Amino acid sequence: MYPLRAKVDETYARSVEAMKAGKPTVWAMVNWWEGDVILKAMDLETVYPENYSTVCASAGTAESYLNRADADGFPTHLCGYSRNTFGYTSRMIKELGAEIPPEAPMGGMPKPVLLLSSDSVCDARYKWFQALGHYMDIPVWTLELPVPGVQELFMDGVKEQCISFMVEHLREFVAFLERLLGRKIDWDKLDETMKLVEQLSRVWHEVNELRKARPCPMHGRDFWSAMPASLFLAGDLSDTLECYQAMYDEVKSRVDNGMGAIADEKYRVVFAELPPWHSLGFFDRLAERGWNIVIESWNYHPPIPIDLTGIADPLERIARFTFQWSTGYYERALKDGEYLGYMAYPYLVFARDYKCDGAFLHPLITCRSASTHLHYTRELLMRKTSVPSIIIEGDIVDLRLFDPEDALRKAEVFEETMEHYREVRKKEGLDW
Amino acid sequence: MTQGSKGLAEAKEIYQDRPRRVKELKAEGKKIIGYPCIYVPIEMMTALDLVPYRIYGDIREPVTEADRGLQTAFCPIMRSAFDLGLKGKYDFLDGMVAAHSCDPQEKCMRVWMSLIKYPYTHFLDVPGTLHEGSLEYFKGQLIALKKTLEAFTGKIITQTGLREAIEAHNLQRALVRELYDLRKPDPPLISGAETLQVIKALTSIPVEEGNDLLRQVISEVKERKNGPQKKPARLLVWGNTMDDIAHTETIEGAEANIVMDDHCGGSRAYRTDVEIAEDLVDGLADNYLVKLVPPRTFRVAVLGETRKDWAADLESRFGYIGEYIKGWDVNGVIMQLVRYCDPHGFEQPAIKDYFDSLGIPSIYLEHDYSEGALAPLRTRVQGFLEVIGQKA
Amino acid sequence: MYFAGVDIGSTMTKIVIMDGADNICSRIIGPTGPEHRRLANKVLIEALEQANLSFAEIDYVVATGYGRVNVPFADRQITELTCHARGVASLFPNVRTAIDIGGQDAKGLKIKDGKLLDFVMNDKCAAGTGRFLEVLAETLGLELEELGGISLESTKKIPISSTCTIFAQQEVIARISEGLPLEDIVAGVHAALAGRVARMVQRLRVEPDVVLTGGVAKNIGVVKAMKENLGHGILVPADPLLTGAMGAAILGKELVSKAMAAGELIERKERYLEEVTFFK
Repeated sequence: MYPLRAKVDETYARSVEAMKAGKPTVWAMVNWWEGDVILKAMDLETVYPENYSTVCASAGTAESYLNRADADGFPTHLCGYSRNTFGYTSRMIKELGAEIPPEAPMGGMPKPVLLLSSDSVCDARYKWFQALGHYMDIPVWTLELPVPGVQELFMDGVKEQCISFMVEHLREFVAFLERLLGRKIDWDKLDETMKLVEQLSRVWHEVNELRKARPCPMHGRDFWSAMPASLFLAGDLSDTLECYQAMYDEVKSRVDNGMGAIADEKYRVVFAELPPWHSLGFFDRLAERGWNIVIESWNYHPPIPIDLTGIADPLERIARFTFQWSTGYYERALKDGEYLGYMAYPYLVFARDYKCDGAFLHPLITCRSASTHLHYTRELLMRKTSVPSIIIEGDIVDLRLFDPEDALRKAEVFEETMEHYREVRKKEGLDW
Repeated sequence: MTQGSKGLAEAKEIYQDRPRRVKELKAEGKKIIGYPCIYVPIEMMTALDLVPYRIYGDIREPVTEADRGLQTAFCPIMRSAFDLGLKGKYDFLDGMVAAHSCDPQEKCMRVWMSLIKYPYTHFLDVPGTLHEGSLEYFKGQLIALKKTLEAFTGKIITQTGLREAIEAHNLQRALVRELYDLRKPDPPLISGAETLQVIKALTSIPVEEGNDLLRQVISEVKERKNGPQKKPARLLVWGNTMDDIAHTETIEGAEANIVMDDHCGGSRAYRTDVEIAEDLVDGLADNYLVKLVPPRTFRVAVLGETRKDWAADLESRFGYIGEYIKGWDVNGVIMQLVRYCDPHGFEQPAIKDYFDSLGIPSIYLEHDYSEGALAPLRTRVQGFLEVIGQKA
Repeated sequence: MYFAGVDIGSTMTKIVIMDGADNICSRIIGPTGPEHRRLANKVLIEALEQANLSFAEIDYVVATGYGRVNVPFADRQITELTCHARGVASLFPNVRTAIDIGGQDAKGLKIKDGKLLDFVMNDKCAAGTGRFLEVLAETLGLELEELGGISLESTKKIPISSTCTIFAQQEVIARISEGLPLEDIVAGVHAALAGRVARMVQRLRVEPDVVLTGGVAKNIGVVKAMKENLGHGILVPADPLLTGAMGAAILGKELVSKAMAAGELIERKERYLEEVTFFK
């Protein structure tokens, strides 16, 4: 798992090298492969301020950047990642003439040639890069990801309209990149890159399917370590594919031998949404008590595989792939009469398919989009499957808000709740 | 209509008891469709003889049920509206149409529609950008809305029916603009509070009744001798939906007149008309995606630009407010927004820079959308007025 | 001529009577509780007695502060923002940044030539106000007045979370139970308060001269911590609680002078030395 994590860390060093070599860098929002595959195919060094801000938070440099953002007039309720980035950019541009700040962890993020935002998942993710214009005159492109209603998706023609919207949009994006960079995309390379992404994603999906076993062979901690390599397309993708295949073999052999990820699986727990990256050790303490995180963080999971063979246009494959990521659970959601068909509804499927005893919900004060769906998820899981939830708060940049001692105390009490609801589910005729 | 009151008095009555008229209409067999946001093209409802009814929150109602589906750190306007829904205050609605104008509305409405089953619901996706493909996609979304509305009513939206509905709504917009012109003199002939009540009344009754009301209000306001007093400050209020006169009172209670607004409880829904194109849905798509100004839409000076010019960027986003400032002789701007609003929140400090570039003083006010939150705002508003008063 | 400035704050009521030459004839500071706010007129009577004046001899009364609305004995009400700016400028003519830390709120004022240019306020969160020190003094078992002196004895600040008073309280309790030196904990508390206030004020782009007012300005530990946070020298008036009332009185004088110079009668309300009410 660690080689996979290390790949992402390397991207910062590579982007700094690239900048020193005069190569262009892109700052991008997480875009669930929609834009990344294209950036990768065009050999663009890409860094992710969302990810970088967690690095700053862990390294202790976020506070000074947040203070700067405050002083520059950004409201304090805005996304913590954005404010960290505003502060970082303010320091880099206003004080250091576009030189990377010496205190910036992991080599920092160089001044980019493009800001690639996305309108999926939340408003901050495209308003924030727009607001960076306050410091730097850098072109911004906002990727579109349509999210129709759950009922509405299944109306005649709607799905195809979504796909053709995305395809046309991506075609325009490619043309834009070509103008910006003064060179053409290699369509074959794009095709190959996307094929690798599809393969990678399928293997990763299979790994996670194996986790339905009892006991679960892979804990959430390992998922979170391994996931970034898939989400960020860092480094050599064939290499990454091999790593994931090796991971599959390892996890499969555990299943075959009835080995769990932890010594004694007492509680099968689903976790939502973003983990406390700086305090993952906390889960070891829960593991000692028999908590196995068997599934987690819907937004980090690959799309449920769909058959893209026979689709020649790589842009169409990208569009269908990313669209599948966001709407892959809609059909089941519609059957269940639940309309928050992404973000929240997948957890109902997780709870059922992975036979979860409880949900660990982790709302983050300054990341509302990763927290909004959690209250409803709690309600949904209880209503439909009598699976209880525990709510432990934290934040993405103010790490003091997560209190591990307090969380542990609450977790101990929650064990009784989970045991109680096992009985309730038995009475209701559910099989876990 | 309501006890023989006319004009401003009638608007006030409707404002104070919004559901009254639609409940009467419901008893007569009409169907009422709720919508929380100006991105929903209500012309389609009018064309099918449905009554569009805007969904608001209530700053006076403590939020007690919303935790069931939403966290506390969430747009307080939508949280309040959802809370009212859970308490049954919107049970008289026959249906709801939500639009993906912003994240909280999108999430909240999906949750709301899951927890309370109205006879009809529809979710309208709205793209974030203004590429040609975005417009095409949005048009497809409007056609899907048209289909479900037709299925719900068992009627078809005809070309004529839709055109007439668009014309009626365009007329309402023109009348509102005429009313807003009466805020240009010094002192303005109608106050911010009164304007708010009129707009909120319009969103509570069918379009034709709204047009009648507007005509009465306009002629009354033109003749009146008891309008607002002259005050040194002529303010524009920008930001989120203001839907309660307690808000305008914190501003107009100090030595100021609100002479213009740019928010979703004010001018934004009435600023531009739906063009009567050969394909009427094209006109709707164009107005509701391209022409509506709220900052949830990603705008750049030149679509697909490979060079950015910040000044041009600001002008493309905010230039229309500069026009308001000139047209209404505004000498100060209040940028008010509710806590947790991202589309408006991320406009700071860019929009303040824009006002600075025009030499117009501005102040940023953040509040919680509750009645209790208003007292501190008064001091800030008064302090702001004292600062700008010194320049006089 | 005589002018009265009445500053009805959330914790303290301050009244200053000045003459036309800006001399202070009397000054009274009393607590504002729910009863006392209503009885602000009694505080004015005390001030009149101290100055040996009658109510009728006061040419203009300006009320300011949280409780300034509906003061029946005031001719005018002006926000504490403008009044503080004026009051501080009368004592420190070169002031560009004034910071007022009160019992329940904090303000930052940008000033030039005695005029208020811009301001920031915090009246929501206890963490950057006098209340923060009150709560933590209690937690530490210390008197509020002792805090500043103790903090100066510290050689090593212990960082305290400054996001929220409640969290800070918990942290302090944890630090005490760890047996860490009291003075270091207290220094950490002061740093937290100063950090919080500094962050708010930095939106104004702090320029010297920087003046600190409000009850909390009497705390030398806070003054030191503010200096460290802002990187500027901090000036503190002899009577840090009175700048609002002083400014109010001076503004009253300026209004009267302006009217007289223009040959106009000053607009005055019918005023009565009655209890303050908060209901119209």
